[in-house]
Amino acid sequence: MASPAIQAVGLTKSFGPLVAVDGIDLALEPGRIYGVLGPNGSGKTTLIRLLTGLARATSGHARVLGTEMPSRAALGRIGYMTQSDGVYAELSVLENLRFFAALYGTTDSAALARAVEIVDLVGREGTPAYQLSGGLRRRLSLACALVHSPAVIFLDEPTVGVDPALRMQFWQHFHGLAEAGATLFVSSHVMDEADRCDELLFMRAGRVLARGTSGELRAQAGTPDLEAAFLRFSHEAVA
Amino acid sequence: MNARRILAISRRIASQFRRDHRTVALLFVVPLVVTALLGWVIRDQERDDVRLGIVASQLVAERVGGALDAAPGIDYLFQADSAEAARSLIRDGQVDIVLVFPADFLPGAGGTLPATLTVITPGVDPASEGTNLATLQRAVISVLDPNLPTLNRETVWGSPASDALDAFAPALIGFFGFFFVFLLTGISFLRERVGGTLERLLATPVTRSEIVAGYSLGFGIFAALQVAVITTFALMNVGVPAFGPLPAFSIGLGIANAGSPLLAFLVVLLLAVGMVNLGIFVSTFARTELQVIQFVPVVIVPQGLLGGVLWPVDSLPSLLQPIARLLPLTYAVDGLREVMIKGADLGSAALRLDLSVLVGLAIAFAALAALTIRREVA
Repeated sequence: MASPAIQAVGLTKSFGPLVAVDGIDLALEPGRIYGVLGPNGSGKTTLIRLLTGLARATSGHARVLGTEMPSRAALGRIGYMTQSDGVYAELSVLENLRFFAALYGTTDSAALARAVEIVDLVGREGTPAYQLSGGLRRRLSLACALVHSPAVIFLDEPTVGVDPALRMQFWQHFHGLAEAGATLFVSSHVMDEADRCDELLFMRAGRVLARGTSGELRAQAGTPDLEAAFLRFSHEAVA
Repeated sequence: MNARRILAISRRIASQFRRDHRTVALLFVVPLVVTALLGWVIRDQERDDVRLGIVASQLVAERVGGALDAAPGIDYLFQADSAEAARSLIRDGQVDIVLVFPADFLPGAGGTLPATLTVITPGVDPASEGTNLATLQRAVISVLDPNLPTLNRETVWGSPASDALDAFAPALIGFFGFFFVFLLTGISFLRERVGGTLERLLATPVTRSEIVAGYSLGFGIFAALQVAVITTFALMNVGVPAFGPLPAFSIGLGIANAGSPLLAFLVVLLLAVGMVNLGIFVSTFARTELQVIQFVPVVIVPQGLLGGVLWPVDSLPSLLQPIARLLPLTYAVDGLREVMIKGADLGSAALRLDLSVLVGLAIAFAALAALTIRREVA
């Protein structure tokens, strides 16, 4: 196996008595799409924040592209689409992109044009973000995470509030990025998105309950669909 | 620190301003309107002659009243036989002040002047009644003893013709350089925190000192422009002649500035940079825009009261003076008065102290601001 793009060793984060991420071990090889599935509050966002270095682990280690996180240098090769849109409402599409590109050290205008193209915002470059519909703003948010051609991309609930047609487009982009060698770490609480991932991690109460492809997990649980599989794994974890 | 990232942040702030016309108006138009209004109110106050009543015999009242009426600013209107009758004149709004002579007083060579004379005023507005009393006192002295010398006033700084506005304008410039910038930074940074953009910023290789520097530069430029506009308005005095039904008026306050406008500008700029960072710091303790506004009475009002804008710091109660000396506005107002009224340059120890304290506070607030921008990246 190639050296892992994302690695966690005994990764733990507690907020007082609450253990949000509970001793997670991971080694994810590059060039694939990993789906992290779990209910609200299962620790998905905290896990992403630990992996991107936005939160400091209570114990354990996180490594991205072989670099121990938190690391500022590694952030230049990581893209992060936050759960909220995280774009500047008063800035135009292009100004938002140019701003984040500059922070990543990208000044290449071709990169900006490419990001606009990927999310299909061509023709709206000059529109201020506050004039965009919710779905278009979500696309802009995605473009801002991709503008510096990162090798590892964390997407926290990228398709929340996105209509089915756009959701399909998003997943096409994600597969395109993975084919080009990027590693994607996508969190979601919607099971029907899971089939689009190369590999799934079921998360509950800060732990990874199970890991595998959609087919593997269903077979392992002996259930016809992922939702039932998830419930089976959760039930076993409690019991 | 990476200059390109700092510039990207300050350019972004400028772009946000460009689309937010209301905020730009708040920054540039509101201070001008307020300053102009204040200048107008202070400079063009309608001051009528003091309407005087006298309690004395007919003979005395005529003699003394006639003489006082000739003095500047006094309009002798009524004679009354008793203090009670005089009080009702005041109650009815017919006179502003009443001078009461003893019943046995005789004017001229035959009478001796009593040691005290009673004066009755309405007791409603201490400031204007005090002014009326002073006018009467001057008139009484000049009438009763014309041989006393008049006092001819000269000044070390400024000119005897300076008015309240000349002393107030420097403080006002400082106050504007401080208030809006604090409010705008507090709210913009709060929006970064709650809107998810800060999270996203922190997921890029930007450092927190770059964020603080970018904000200081971005808002500092707007604060500088704002101060330049207000200072120009305060200093200039362009007469516009009467035209048609419009009377002649002047644009600008024509404040005398003894020192370098650039030094005055530097003082306000340092204050503004400090306030940008205090705004970032304060935004940590707010969850909504309304909560940022709640910091106005906590951060702004005490500085307005204690910072020397209205009363000199030296005349504050002794317990409050040490507090006043911790406030940035105190040093900015003092520095501005040093420059604009006393014409201080960098050779002045007082101005150097003001500037160094402002630099020190700006650095301290920047450090505080940087500490509140949490990312657990080394």
